[in-house]
This record gives sequence, C-alpha cells and structure tokens, in this order.
Amino acid sequence: MAGITGVIAFDKVWNVSKFIYYSLLALRHRGQDQFAFFICGDECKVKVVEELRDLKVEELNGWIGVGFTGTENRTIREGNHFLAYDGEVKDEVRLIRKLKEIDDKAKAFEGEGVFSAIYTNSREIFAYRDPSGNKPLFLGGFGFDLGIVSSEPSGIEVIGGEVGREVESGELIRINQYGVFKQKTGDGDRFLCSLEFIYLQRIDSHFSGKQIYDVRERIGRQLAIERKIEGDVVIGVPETAIPFAIGYSKETKIPYSLGFTRTGDSKRTMIMNDAFERLIGVQLKLNPIKSVVWDKRVIVIDDSMVTGNTLKNTVFLLRKNGAKEVHVLIASPKLTSLCPYGVRVPPKEELIAANLSDEEIAITIGADSIYWLSFEGMYKAIGLNPENLCIGCFTGKYKKVIK
Amino acid sequence: MKVLLVGEGARENAIAWKISQEGARVYSIMGYVNPGIKRIVENSGGKFIMGNIRNPNDVLNAAEAFSPELIIVGPEEPLFKGVCDKVREKGFACFGPSFKASKIEESKVWMRNLMWKHKIKGRLRFKSFKSVEEASKYILEYGGSIAIKPSRQAGGRGVKVVADLQAYLTKEKREAVSKSASEIASLAQEEEDKILIEEKVDGVEYTLHVITDGLNVLPLPLAQDYKHAYSYSIGPETGGMGSISGPKELLPFIEEEEFKTSLEIVRETINAIKAEVNEDYIGFIAGQMMLTPLWGPTIIEYYSRLGDPEASAILPRIKSSMLELFDLAVNKGLHRAKIEVDERVSVVKAIAPIGYPLDRKMASNKLVFIDERKIKERGCLVFYGSISEQGEKLITMGSRAIEIAALSDSFEQASRKVDECISYVEIEGGMIYRSEIGKEETIAEQREKSSISRHSYKLRERKGILGVSKDWSPKEELRW
Repeated sequence: MAGITGVIAFDKVWNVSKFIYYSLLALRHRGQDQFAFFICGDECKVKVVEELRDLKVEELNGWIGVGFTGTENRTIREGNHFLAYDGEVKDEVRLIRKLKEIDDKAKAFEGEGVFSAIYTNSREIFAYRDPSGNKPLFLGGFGFDLGIVSSEPSGIEVIGGEVGREVESGELIRINQYGVFKQKTGDGDRFLCSLEFIYLQRIDSHFSGKQIYDVRERIGRQLAIERKIEGDVVIGVPETAIPFAIGYSKETKIPYSLGFTRTGDSKRTMIMNDAFERLIGVQLKLNPIKSVVWDKRVIVIDDSMVTGNTLKNTVFLLRKNGAKEVHVLIASPKLTSLCPYGVRVPPKEELIAANLSDEEIAITIGADSIYWLSFEGMYKAIGLNPENLCIGCFTGKYKKVIK
Repeated sequence: MKVLLVGEGARENAIAWKISQEGARVYSIMGYVNPGIKRIVENSGGKFIMGNIRNPNDVLNAAEAFSPELIIVGPEEPLFKGVCDKVREKGFACFGPSFKASKIEESKVWMRNLMWKHKIKGRLRFKSFKSVEEASKYILEYGGSIAIKPSRQAGGRGVKVVADLQAYLTKEKREAVSKSASEIASLAQEEEDKILIEEKVDGVEYTLHVITDGLNVLPLPLAQDYKHAYSYSIGPETGGMGSISGPKELLPFIEEEEFKTSLEIVRETINAIKAEVNEDYIGFIAGQMMLTPLWGPTIIEYYSRLGDPEASAILPRIKSSMLELFDLAVNKGLHRAKIEVDERVSVVKAIAPIGYPLDRKMASNKLVFIDERKIKERGCLVFYGSISEQGEKLITMGSRAIEIAALSDSFEQASRKVDECISYVEIEGGMIYRSEIGKEETIAEQREKSSISRHSYKLRERKGILGVSKDWSPKEELRW
C-alpha cells in the first residue's frame, strides 16, 4: 500500500520539495513505514528513509520530483529516472525501462500489474493507472505554476492545489513544459479495490465519482437495515469507523456518541508490522469514555476484523467501563484472504474470520453478538456493479494473476 | 461600405468574417499574411497591405491609400499607440478608443486607481511598486493570497496567482514569486509603476463586452474564456485557449441580476473614464470579471477591444449587423441600435503549436495542415490567428494558430463538434488544445464554483459588507 505524489513546476524558479513533502503527509494513512523522495534541480537526488523527518526536506531542492509513502518501498531509481507505484507490478525493472522508452511517437504503453504509478525522467512527469483502475490517482495543478499528480485529492489540496480530475483507468498522463498529454493505453476489466472505499482512503476523498464519506455513511445505514439491534448508544472505533457509526445512528435514531479518545498519531493498527506494535496501537488509540458507555447497551462498529485482537481489547475496555451489552458490527464482509495487489493483509492463518465460526468469534472477542456487512449491502452502499469491484480479500478469488 | 480593418489575429479574422457578410468591402493592414483575413479581403473586393499595425503612421498610410469610410482597430497595442487618434486627426472615422481612453486596459494601476476614486463596485485592494526590490520585499513579508501582475497589459503574460492558505508552504510560494518579480517587471519596461499586487480572489471568470459611443452602452452576450494553457486548468497563463458563450445573453452559471450588476460596473467605468480624460469612449470595452465571494461581480481587468478568443464565440451568435453597430457608434447614434442574439450556444477552442506559451521559438515556423472543406462540412467555423500564409504554405508564428468555433443547442454538442473538426488540423511537431472546454463536466464545475461565490456575496450583501476585506498582522498596521 502506498501514497504517491509527483510535482512539476512550469517555471524553474520554484522549489517543489516541500510541496511533495506536505502532500506525503496527507497520504500517510496509505502506509508510512517507508518514505522515498526523488527530486531534480541542477542534479537529481534520491532519499529513502523510515521516518519522514529523516528526509531533511530543507536540504532538498528542485523543480520536479516524486515522493512515496508506503508499507514497503515500491520505488526504483535508474540514474535520472525514478518510478514510484502503489500496487503490484510484474517486473519493476522492465516497467521503468518501458517507461524510459516512451517518446513522442509511442502509441501504446501498458504496464503489467495492478497499480498506479508516477514516473519521472527528471524533465517530465508521467502518471499511469492500469486498466483495472484498482488504485486511485488524481491530476491537478497549482495556479499557473505547478502540475501535480497524487494518489488522493487531499495530496493535491493540502498544498493549495486544485484537482483537475481523476486519472482514468488505462490512462497515461504526461506533463511537461509543453503541455498535459493523455494517452489511452489499453482496455481491460475494471475492478476497483473495495477496501479503498471501505477504509483505505481519507474521508475527504472521492474515488471513481463516489464521495468516500457518503459511501461510509451509507454502509452504516445499510448495517442498520441488515442488522437491527436494541441498543442505547452507537460508537465507532476511531477513526475510520466513525462515519459508519454516524450512518447507523441516523438510520436507527439510536444516539451516536464518541466512545473513545486517542493518544498519539493516527497510525493504522492494521497496517502495522508486528503484532506487539499493533497491540500497543490499540491501547494508545482507544481509551474509552466511561460516561458514554456506562450502564448502556453499546453497539460498536469497526471497519474490518483481521486477527480480532483490536476488537477483543475494545470489547474488554468497553465492559470495563460499564457497558451492559456490547454488540459488534463490521463494516465489511469477512476478511479471509490475502491481497495480491499490495494491500497488506496478514496471512490466512492469522485471519480470524478465515478460521473460526461467527459464534466462536463472538466468544473469542467477548461480544454479545457480531455481524458482518453483506456483499449485496456493500455493493449497494458503494454504488458500483459487483463486476467492477475487487473483493478478492473477502473471497479468495482474484480478477487477475500478476506473477 | 469600405472598411479598413487593423490587425492580423483570429479576432480580426472573426470581425472580417462577420462584417463581410453584412456588405462590407474589407481592406486590411496586417503584419503578416493571415490566410483567413486575406481570403475575406479578396472575396469582398477589398485589398490588404503589409505594415506595422502598432505604428500610427503605417495605419494612416493604409487609410490614405484605401480611403475607407470606417476604420476598425482589432487589437489593443495599436490603441495604446494612438492609432485611432492619428487617423481621426486626418478626418477618418475610427472605431476604437483613443490613446488616453485605452489606458483603462494598458495600465492596470490606472484602472485600479480609477475604480477606487469613483468608488465603482467590484474593485480590489491593490498596491503598485516602482521597483522590483520593493515588490520582492513586500511579497516576502506579506501574509496572504495575492495576484502579481505587470502593471502594463502584456497579453496575459507574467501573471502569478498565489493562494497562500497553507502557512507551511508560505516560504516556498513567496520565494518563487519574489524571484519572478524581475521578469514580471520587465514586461512593464517603460512604466513608472512596474508591478501591481492585488488581493487574490476566487470564483468563475466571465467577460462582459459592451459596444459604446460614450453615451449609449450596448452589451454583447457574456462569454467565458479559459486561461490555462493545458487541459484541466493546469499550466501557465495564456491569452485564452478557448471560450464559450450563451445561452441567450448569459452563461449557465451567471444569473440575470449578476449580468445587470456587471453591466452597471462597466457603465460606471465608461463614465469615470470620460470624467478623467474628458472625451467619449468609442469602441468596445470589456470587463474581464470574476464572480467572487467578496463582491459578486468583480473586475479582474479591462479590455479596450474585443477579447480573443471570446470574439470567435460571441460574433457568430450576433444576428444583428455589427457593421451597422460600428457605424452607429462612431456617429454617436447607438441609441437607435439593438442587438439580436442567436438562441444557440457556442464553443471555441484554440489550437497552438507545441512550445506555446513557454517556448515561443519552438512554437514558431511550423507547417500547418488543415482540411477546411471537411471542417466546414461538419458545421464549424475556422478563424486563423498566429499563422502566416507564405506561398502555398501555412506557417505558425509562435502563438495560438487557429480557433475553431461551433454553434449548437448544447455546449456538450458544440464541444464535440469542435473536437471532430480539430481532427482535420495538424501542426508539424504537434499541437495542443483543450478538449474539455464546453463539456458537461467542465460546465458543472463552473456551476459549482459560482454557487460557492453566490452564497457568500449574497450574505455579505444582506449584512452590508459587500467588498469589505482587511488584513492584519501582529507586527504591523493594517496594510494596503
């Protein structure tokens, strides 16, 4: 998983390094274990670090560059050429070579894999989204001076830019001093990542014409339609699950409250590397607010269930603070399989829903009941046809084999 | 009627096309042979001569050679140089403002001062600078969003607009703009005030052109032009890469009342010019406007002529005789005139050679291939711009080469029609144009933007704080 941003200045008086840096800050929710930064002015420099502050962005200077934030480093440099991508590609060395060969006459380009990529040859920026459209990518600008491409709209907006449009599936966009050029590079089945809608993207994003926040409220409403629970309060596990809880509350008229307060930054527990770190993440992130749950029948919603550890702790903490009943709702279908397209999902052995029955899971996490969003409900809430969504991590059936 | 048309761009091509249908015998003075104008001149039984249109003597010579009943000046530069003053002295009728009155476009500082002095609505706070150093210093220190422009009209070049809402990027933005200050100032070489800094405003842009004899003011239908060079509003500023006009006298995102306010602003400006320079304004004057949260209709700049490419979107929609209007204007008889507008909407897209606008050399001397017959069969109009006929060949001159226009019942249809027609144009080395102009999504975006502005300015209107804005910083007094 990754967030990527490319910036080009049409006038070389600009130093774009901080623009890329702050854009990456806005994309950290897509993974923040590895950062890579490539920038060119008089010369090209690359930096790969594990902490964003180690980039020492003040020392970087240039008018064109690409930044990467992700769970694993998915960048490759060859001289003055640099490629960063979100997703999986078959052969990254082959891919960067193919990109290098694109010239004005090239008619077709197709990268093998399921990914969105930003590539620069230190003179121009290329943005590519493969025909599946699985990963997001946006195009925009800042005033009369900068061209920007980024994984999500916020990657453009936080640096003062305006989003022009989404890069289409199977489209290669080329930005240089002479223009913004597009090339339709090939057709293929479109299958957008359903996790992007459910929890990967920021709630200020839109993806394939759908407002992420609205999709998530609709999921909450859909859960209410599918599973009516007698409860006194609805809470969401911060931060991703809050819109689901608001939607559930709006549909059922059961009051919504903030059930937890957070310590530390908003690292996603699911995409943290080791189990211990994940646990620390949970404790830090979720300190319950006693007066909200005391003596109440609590409906708690989370975006997904991976190992069940987060929820087990959550339920325990809620009961400890006086909740009479704890009902758990999950805003996605059961996560049972790996993602071959780069979303970090633990191996099947560690996925609780792949190994235990609903009843066993309820007992394990200590909940009075548990329910997962239905597939039909998910399609309805997202508003896309099932054939245009990738649901491989819920079914183990994948639309495309890469390797 | 014998008419001498001054200028060689797409706008002049559009004017020539229009008036030749209305019975004008078109004569022309051009700096290079515009193939579109040349053909119209020849078909209408006129003649053309080559000359420097910015040199009043060249234009006077042409006038004396052809003895036209009316002279129409297309571009702004000849107006700034006093072409109309010169030929009027010799008794010719000239459509276009005098040297003094065209200051409204030539000097943005003069224009802003005029608006403040006469308390005309839609005015922005500004500051002008005599030296680059002074301006750079101000840019580095000022905390806020600003637009920086050369004080003199430079065909859209040298404008920087900096939204400074992110404190964490302030330094980068200010440094870049400050570095550009000398380039901006160089575009205003002779001026006393070289750089103009204004508060930055947001909103949809549109242009209101009027034709006036100094007493009567007749509005043309609104048009919108697209300033960014590249698609999706990315890239450097240009003179305009395309334009739309309609339906009726409005645009889909400008309301009747806003149109009226805009007209009032332009009318007051015409009166203010008269008060300053003590003469009637004769010609076109256009408010390049923006619907802002601060004011509603707001003046970004003024044109002392028809906008280009707006002309190519507006003129094909005018059913009345423009020739008659020009004639009435120079004879102060516009009170007798009316303008009838085609119901259909129009879309114009400009085609430029690759290299425009940042590398004019690269954009020059490229061969152009165009199948005009096919384009006309498909119902589009072709207006030639920065392109010269050299023997059998058409050669680019470094700027926007061709404008293709189409009328239709909807913008989407017109836009598609233009795209289809553009497929019959080819420029050696490649070309750029903005396909999205007129498309439904683009119009929807403009609608959204305008409604954002509308919420705010209407609220300001109710509260009685229309146009009121201030800046404050802990270290200094209020600025501006």
